[in-house]
Amino acid sequence: MAIKIELPSVAAGMEEATLVRWVKVEGDQVSKGETLAEMETDKAVMELETEADGVLGRILVPGGSEGVTVGTMIGVLLEPGEDESALAAFQAPSAPSEPAAPASPEPETAPEPQAAPAQNPVSAESQGQASAPEREGRVFASPLARRLANEYGLDLSGIQGSGPHGRIVRLDVERAREAAPVQAAAPAAASIQASSVPEGARVERIPNSGMRKTIARRLTESKQQVPHFYLTMEVDVEEMLALRGRLNAKSSGADRKYRLSVNDIVVYAAARALRRVPDVNASWSEEAILRYLDVDVCVAVATEGGLVTPVIHEADRKGLAEISGEIRDLAHRARAGKLAPAEYQGGGFTISNLGMYGIREFSAIINPPQAAILAVGAVEKRPVVRNDQLAVGNVMIMTLSSDHRVVDGAVGARFLAELRALLEDPLELLV
Amino acid sequence: MPRSSKLTSAAPWRELVTTDKDWQAADPGLLRSSLVDLHLIRAFEEKVLELAGQGLVHGPAHSSIGQESGAVGSALTLRASDQINGSHRAHHQFLAKCLHYVSPEGMDPANAVTAPVHELLQKTLAEIMGLAQGYCRGRGGSMHLRWGDAGVLGTNAIVGGGVPMAAGAAWSHRRAGTGDVTITYFGDGAINIGSVLETMNLAAAWKLPLCFFIENNRYAVSTVVDEATAEPRLSARGQAFGIPSWKIDGMDPLAVYLATQEALEIMRSGGGPTIIEADVYRFFHQNGPLPGSAFGYRTKDEENEWRARDPLDRVGSEMIKRKLIDEAGIKSLREQAQAAMEAAADELLDKSGAKPAVRADLWPTPDFRDAHIRGDLSELDGVRYVEQEQFQGKLEEHKFVDSVADVMHRRMSKDERIVVMGEDVHRLKGGTNGATRGLSQDFPDRCLGTPISENAFVGLGGGIAMDGRYRPVVEFMYPDFMWVAADQVFNQIAKARHMFGGDSAMPLVLRTKVAMGTGYGSQHSMDPAGIFATSPGWRIVAASTPYDYVGLMNSALQCEDPVLVIEHTDLYNAKFPAPVDDLDYYIPLGKAKVVRPGKDVTVLTYLSLVQTSVEAVERLSVDAEVIDLRSLDRAGLDWETIGASIRKTNNVLVVEQGSVGTAYGVLLGDEVQRRFFDYLDQPVQRVTGGEASPSISKVLERAACAGPEEIEDGLRLVMAQQGRPLA
Repeated sequence: MAIKIELPSVAAGMEEATLVRWVKVEGDQVSKGETLAEMETDKAVMELETEADGVLGRILVPGGSEGVTVGTMIGVLLEPGEDESALAAFQAPSAPSEPAAPASPEPETAPEPQAAPAQNPVSAESQGQASAPEREGRVFASPLARRLANEYGLDLSGIQGSGPHGRIVRLDVERAREAAPVQAAAPAAASIQASSVPEGARVERIPNSGMRKTIARRLTESKQQVPHFYLTMEVDVEEMLALRGRLNAKSSGADRKYRLSVNDIVVYAAARALRRVPDVNASWSEEAILRYLDVDVCVAVATEGGLVTPVIHEADRKGLAEISGEIRDLAHRARAGKLAPAEYQGGGFTISNLGMYGIREFSAIINPPQAAILAVGAVEKRPVVRNDQLAVGNVMIMTLSSDHRVVDGAVGARFLAELRALLEDPLELLV
Repeated sequence: MPRSSKLTSAAPWRELVTTDKDWQAADPGLLRSSLVDLHLIRAFEEKVLELAGQGLVHGPAHSSIGQESGAVGSALTLRASDQINGSHRAHHQFLAKCLHYVSPEGMDPANAVTAPVHELLQKTLAEIMGLAQGYCRGRGGSMHLRWGDAGVLGTNAIVGGGVPMAAGAAWSHRRAGTGDVTITYFGDGAINIGSVLETMNLAAAWKLPLCFFIENNRYAVSTVVDEATAEPRLSARGQAFGIPSWKIDGMDPLAVYLATQEALEIMRSGGGPTIIEADVYRFFHQNGPLPGSAFGYRTKDEENEWRARDPLDRVGSEMIKRKLIDEAGIKSLREQAQAAMEAAADELLDKSGAKPAVRADLWPTPDFRDAHIRGDLSELDGVRYVEQEQFQGKLEEHKFVDSVADVMHRRMSKDERIVVMGEDVHRLKGGTNGATRGLSQDFPDRCLGTPISENAFVGLGGGIAMDGRYRPVVEFMYPDFMWVAADQVFNQIAKARHMFGGDSAMPLVLRTKVAMGTGYGSQHSMDPAGIFATSPGWRIVAASTPYDYVGLMNSALQCEDPVLVIEHTDLYNAKFPAPVDDLDYYIPLGKAKVVRPGKDVTVLTYLSLVQTSVEAVERLSVDAEVIDLRSLDRAGLDWETIGASIRKTNNVLVVEQGSVGTAYGVLLGDEVQRRFFDYLDQPVQRVTGGEASPSISKVLERAACAGPEEIEDGLRLVMAQQGRPLA
């Protein structure tokens, strides 16, 4: 029997995606695990793999479709031996946001072992809470959680319950709201739309990707809701550059194991500074300040689609070469849109470096729910005073943006001082 | 061989029989009034049976046809300020007392139905038919007839249930020194029940002017009196209690009259209670228009023998002998009575259809259903409410139980109406716990040690409260005794105001103490709040501090409804800041108190567990809002305070100490989930004791009650289920 191909949910809270392109065309033979299509969420492009051997019988949602709701049937897979007559029942949905019409000729109770597990509840903002095709039983949520979810415009089916028997309780809804504040961001989005171009201006219209929308929403929210303050410090990186030169010299030639950038060393040093000043590696919540037990550092990577912040997990436990290699790999895959969700979700602190563009100094917007971000400028030759003598030194300017709810001025300053000490005298990194 | 000597009862017991001379000497006015009463009551009962046969009387119609003379003969001896009550078969008693009340100068057979008489007949019939114009606004019906002004306290559908209440009225007469008396009528079926026997003992011990008037009609429904007791001469019961007793032919109204007069002499002069056993006969079955013989428990011959002794004929023929009336006069009286009932019924019926029906506009409206379950608390208007935080007086550390005694002493010194009663309240330096310390010394006639008969003495308290001249404070040494006294507590005291139409108040205070933790075991260790809260009519307060106790007790004593005041042995000897120079402030009924503000969970509790809960909350560092409910009855739950808290915390933990079966949290949890469903992040959680009643063994008792550890468990649960488990 023909198998429905539905848009899966691959990340928590994912509701829709852009179906970027079909890799296979109708009639292609496919085997289990082969890539059928690519889809793009707000963060990444992911591959949709086939769950069984067969023939791609029909494409119901064409490549390039935006806003395809999770659970939408996007195609049909014919099992080996089936011919096209099995496709008669399947038609393209009239609109991508609607769930596939269950106009199946076979009895509804007919077993569909392949399709059933993939069947996620459809996002049903337009339908309230009742999602018709939901088969896995009702969602258990406390009365309060239901009411709040309704108020916030959140779909309970996308929220993981932490209460007894998986019941969704208030805390779960509040967390989901923080993680995906779709409704909360609506006023901001509206005001952005309102600032449209002057009449008559010649514009090219570039539709916003999911990633672009997410960047807009989250950073607007951060700048509006998080009380930022900024601390700036100059670092004399003379010795750090010397160390880098010596290390890179050891790893030259054809079998070069690493090539360290200034940024790699900054990440390495910042991870250790975070371990020493853990108050900066934290998040705000109404009930408590959540201090991260691991030092997971995000590194901002510019891609064509927009800013991505892949995570170096437990960066304080990794060696310089390891960090360097990881950043390189993550940045490469980020630019290719090939990051897995786990690779760009989480993190307790972010480093953004625009030094390669010659930017002397800048201040960054905090990446919520983190409490601080470090903006790193270019290394420049400048007059410095050493032993009361004027000299030419290599100087780098770092600016820390902090959430004042979590990080007070003195705490931020202590962190920067710690970081500067590590960078100015790299021997400190050994102890 | 032992020597034995004959003992004799202290109380006189005699049979009184009238002679021709008595009949010739009888006051003509008395005979005329008797004859008119008998005919009016007979015609009334016949009409009731006729209407019942047409389906126009909802519920039973217990007729008195045949046995009217017991009521008539005794009622004619009474003055307006004397009182009666009766049982399920009481139309004749009600009418006899009320006819005498509306015709104090006597009745005239030639003009029997005066305007007040017509109104009485019509209004009584309306009540029996359940109509709004009845004496109890249609709530009481046939079995609950009350007209306070005429001296009818209210008749009762529980066999013997009205007898303790009558003793309360008699107590008030004695205390007031008016010489007035109360007659409580009941049948042979009630002679063996506890309420009656306990009250006989209590009334005799306290020398109350109460006449136990036994209408021995030989049949308790179908059970013959000889089957139910080895001493079918029911007036012999008086011998056991030292009560002067008479046995008379109840079909002879003059005998009834003369015996009652003798009894009145004793009662009016402070000689205590009396018993009159009147042998009577109902011509019909227990209920309805068929004779008893139709049901096979007696013969037609027996019925015919008794019918030959019809009191209407007896009085008529005696009066003809004395030329006080002739046959035509009797015939006219009969016709007047029947016509009066025809007219009374016509006023209540719509005869336009094929069958007569009740006039639709005469029914009570359904929204009258819950009116008058309790009063409106207007009696507390203008009192000085002061919470401890605003108190200007002096607070000194002393034991909780001292405040219990202090406030009662203060009120008794200010209010002569207050009377305290209960087991041992007058001895042992303030009863078993010291809660009545000092009262019997300073108010010896108002601090009464009772026999161990909770049903009688709490019922007597109810009678005092309903009378209104005095304000009883009754103590149950242990709350479990409410089951012993359940009829008086729940059927009588709780329901009286509502059942009798809403005009009568019931200002009774019932004190008791929760004694979990004292090792008194399965039958002395309940928390009564849950059970009392199921009973409409009762108000319930429970103080967790002496300060609140004083204010709540002042409100309870001012209140016109029955108020259960729950104390706790764990609190009695604990020391608190307590008022010493101002015991006259009030705490509102129906006002809870936030004793610890918080935002994570609302803890609803009362009595000793308020402090225990606060301590548990602090130990676990849970930001709980602890609310001392203080008022626990359905009307007293402070939804404003509770609701504001639940809207804030979204989580509720009800904390109580006692067994889960009788737990108070059932009512509370139900109300909370229905009122605040959309505000709850989890089910209403509860801390209670176990299923079993606490045992005497110390370990088992502790296991059966909720304490600090169980409260901590409850707090952990309620935090875990909102996704914030405690470490």
